[in-house]
Amino acid sequence: MTVLRVLLARLRGLVSRGRADAALDDDIQVHLELLTRDYIHRGLSSRDAQAAARRAFGGVDQVKEAYRDQRSLPAIETFLQDLRYAARMLRRDPAFATVAIISLAIGIGASTAAFSVFNAVMLRPLPITDPDRLVLLQPQRRGEEFILVNPIYEELRGRQTTLSGMFAANDTPYLKITFEDEPAPAYVHASLVSGSYFAVLDLTPHMGRLLTEQDDQLPATASDDRCAAVISYRLWVRRFGQDRAAIGRTLRVGDSRCAIVGIGPATFESHQTGFTPDVWLPLRPLTDRKLLASRGMAFFSGVMGRLAPGVEIAQAEEELTTLYQQAQAAQPQPPAAARQPQTTPADFTIRLASGAQGFDKIRRPFSTPLVMILAVVGVVLLVASVNVANLLLARGAARLPELATRAALGAGRWRLVRQLATEGLMLAALGGLLGVGLAWMTIPVLTSQISLGYVTLTDARPDARVLGLALALTVTAAVVAGVLPALRLSRTTLQSGLASGSRTTIASGHRLQRLLVTAQLAMSLLLVSAAGLLLRTIVHLAGVDPGFTPAHVVMLNVRDEAPQPSFGDVDDAIRKARRAERYRVLDERLNSVPGVQAASVSWLGLFSMQDLWLPLIDPDRADDRPNARVDYVSARYFETMGMQILRGRGFRDTDREGMPRVAVINQTLARVRFGAGDPLGRRVALDYRGEQQRPFTIVGVVRDSKYNDVRDSRPNPMMWMPIAQAPFPISSISLRTLPGAEASVARRAEEVLRATDPDIMVRSTTTLSAQIAGKTSRERLLLGLSSGFAALAILLAAVGLYGTLAYMVNRRTREIGVRLAFGARGDTILRMVVGDALRLAAVALVVGVPLSLAVGYSLRAFLFGVTPTDPVAMAGACLVLTIATLLAAYLPARRAAAVDPIVALRYE
Amino acid sequence: MDSDQPAGEVPYGTLDLMVLKTLQVMGALHGYAIARRIEQVARGSLALNQGTIYPALLRLEQKGWIASKWGVSETKRRVRFFTITRAGLRQLAAEQRAWARTVATLNRLLEES
Repeated sequence: MTVLRVLLARLRGLVSRGRADAALDDDIQVHLELLTRDYIHRGLSSRDAQAAARRAFGGVDQVKEAYRDQRSLPAIETFLQDLRYAARMLRRDPAFATVAIISLAIGIGASTAAFSVFNAVMLRPLPITDPDRLVLLQPQRRGEEFILVNPIYEELRGRQTTLSGMFAANDTPYLKITFEDEPAPAYVHASLVSGSYFAVLDLTPHMGRLLTEQDDQLPATASDDRCAAVISYRLWVRRFGQDRAAIGRTLRVGDSRCAIVGIGPATFESHQTGFTPDVWLPLRPLTDRKLLASRGMAFFSGVMGRLAPGVEIAQAEEELTTLYQQAQAAQPQPPAAARQPQTTPADFTIRLASGAQGFDKIRRPFSTPLVMILAVVGVVLLVASVNVANLLLARGAARLPELATRAALGAGRWRLVRQLATEGLMLAALGGLLGVGLAWMTIPVLTSQISLGYVTLTDARPDARVLGLALALTVTAAVVAGVLPALRLSRTTLQSGLASGSRTTIASGHRLQRLLVTAQLAMSLLLVSAAGLLLRTIVHLAGVDPGFTPAHVVMLNVRDEAPQPSFGDVDDAIRKARRAERYRVLDERLNSVPGVQAASVSWLGLFSMQDLWLPLIDPDRADDRPNARVDYVSARYFETMGMQILRGRGFRDTDREGMPRVAVINQTLARVRFGAGDPLGRRVALDYRGEQQRPFTIVGVVRDSKYNDVRDSRPNPMMWMPIAQAPFPISSISLRTLPGAEASVARRAEEVLRATDPDIMVRSTTTLSAQIAGKTSRERLLLGLSSGFAALAILLAAVGLYGTLAYMVNRRTREIGVRLAFGARGDTILRMVVGDALRLAAVALVVGVPLSLAVGYSLRAFLFGVTPTDPVAMAGACLVLTIATLLAAYLPARRAAAVDPIVALRYE
Repeated sequence: MDSDQPAGEVPYGTLDLMVLKTLQVMGALHGYAIARRIEQVARGSLALNQGTIYPALLRLEQKGWIASKWGVSETKRRVRFFTITRAGLRQLAAEQRAWARTVATLNRLLEES
């Protein structure tokens, strides 16, 4: 308490300086008077009494000094003095201050924003107790990622002892739910989770209760349709207005009726960063029974566990791997794929990764781009700091006489260093403040780029860690920008004293400046060349011929939510006919929407997230069965997609059930399957249950096209069949529109769906071009950031170079004057200055090019169509650097050439 | 104390205690009066640089143990008068006890060895 009071008193003292000093003066005055009076009473003369009084009092100045030290905080007081002085110096040169502060703000702001996103994706632990004890189970086969099927999961769960609990989760952004008081179903974000979910995560409900093992039991009878649901705090606020009566309401999910038993905690969103479920449902009652019992994929999102107390991660890994191998050994292994050795149980392992940050759906794909972005902004910050250091040096050199005077007047080296460093610190602090503001504005933009499938980062608010980093960066920038030049200049000052002609010291300060500028140019080259490589990549990606025409195609991602056959079953003929008829009507109506040139529905569609291969059987030839990517489409599909039919025909409305079954294949499949022979009229069947005996006759061949990634360099064997003859549930609707009609067509198409067939629900609406671009979002993100920052870095480097050259020309005015007086021509001088700049650039290139090659190599995973050593990108970067150098050199060179010899020689 | 002994330095940390005690006994005093009083009580056994009283007074005021207000000196000039606060009285009592304990301990130690 007392400590705090003293601190406050001292801080007050800092503010009320004048008043306190006056009071002390009064006190001392009175004290001396009274003392003198005493001595006079004792018989001393007035003069002697005064002297004696002073002796008894002690040194007045020492007392005042001690008093001042006691009154406030002396270190702060000197610091404030330095600050005021620094502020005066900066105000005197606002252009310099603005450039310096803005460059630091950009450096610090960009770094803070990038780190804040990195933090949100990679570092921030789940807001639960002991997140460090969570582990992600990653099954592997021969070291490669493998799926964990439910029966094996159940066995692991039942037998393991090293985890205190484990759960599986299946996240879906599109779960069809009907609230009891609403007629129409809606999609909600849902997590289907094991009963142990909330116990493993150690969460407590906001209200009501959370799901338990009892909720996650398979219903005893088929007619039991009851289940429990926990809704998220957000949904409770959004849909129920925080009404307590929400508990007890029911939701229809498929055939089940789930009663809301509780509200999730307000502080916890999900086990997956970027996914915000509206509702948690028990996994087992809501997953197809046959699927659960099969080797099919019952939970796509992952499995997580909590280490039992005292158990190390390696111990758990060992136990789980042993159990996993035993479980695999108990199962018949599927036949080996072609040219692959038969798998044995020893091929299977379970790797445990830290689950502190939850599931890793966006962590994995974005870790490398985020690290690269951090590196880029780090370089920008470095360039910015060096730039400010350079500017301070240049300015400092101009201030040498002032500093020398101060040194002569008794300012110690340390005092001068502190003064100059304070200027750097002030710049850095202002830059840092502005930078954090900049970061605040840019974080949401950057955040929205971190998106993959249904997971999109929504919250990257800076936390203590981010602000700590921003502070650390500011201090680092202050040290680089302030202390280094300060040390440098103070040495120069003390060596040279007032003699401003001391050439050697100025030359050495000058050398440091040139070194810094060269470093800046070299670092800029790194960024420019990286941007060049990515730009070439994007250009190549845009230039890839996908084999279809993506412009003006509206895509509706839909699901047929009409009752489906359960897992592994096949529809009977009546249901198939009914579905085929629904699709026929829909197709017809979509094709008559105004603005539509051609429309089609399909099972998968192009550039969906799917990647499905089926083996083909040639009923006329029983050799090996090539895999092909297949799709079921309506009649005008090829027209809608703009795919070129090379031979035969596409589909017609007459290709329906009851007519001969037909198929269209692409060039690659024709070549792989039939070689040089004519594929038309040949027959293929799908090696799929219920299809093996029903071959399709090939009626057309279309040009090769990309399937779901333009980077895919190998042409894919593909085959299409009329959806009218094999009515698989559709998931994609495409509409080729007249140019500019995309938005209205999208709107009308959704209306048509609602009016014609409400069971077909729209999940998202986009365009084919956007869907293709979405596959290269990481490259675009990197390109956007690296080119922006490269431009910034080169601008900063140019400013630095300009400052250095301008200073140099200033210093050499006299020499230039002499040269001109002896007959040198203006353009010789111009060439001299520009040549000097180019020499710096050349050194930067010599250093920067090998570094850039290394950077290119680290980028190779993101490159397409260019090698890391791409000469065009490298030459372009060098050219950009040279042009920037010439531009920066031009003004100082002009000024040098325009020096008037008379004036120059009169100078000094 | 023996006045024949040469005047000693003010033991570190004891000036505050002396100031507090003086203010407790004498009531409101200005700096000069406090210094005089301490010198009188010490009967010349302390070499007090009177000026050092002012940083000490400030220190005590910052700690909230004494308070000051403006008054008029014997020479009819504006000067600050200091009084001990309630917190100061508590502190004085505590320090007196501590001092007594220290002295007793030292005495025992010196006598026994």
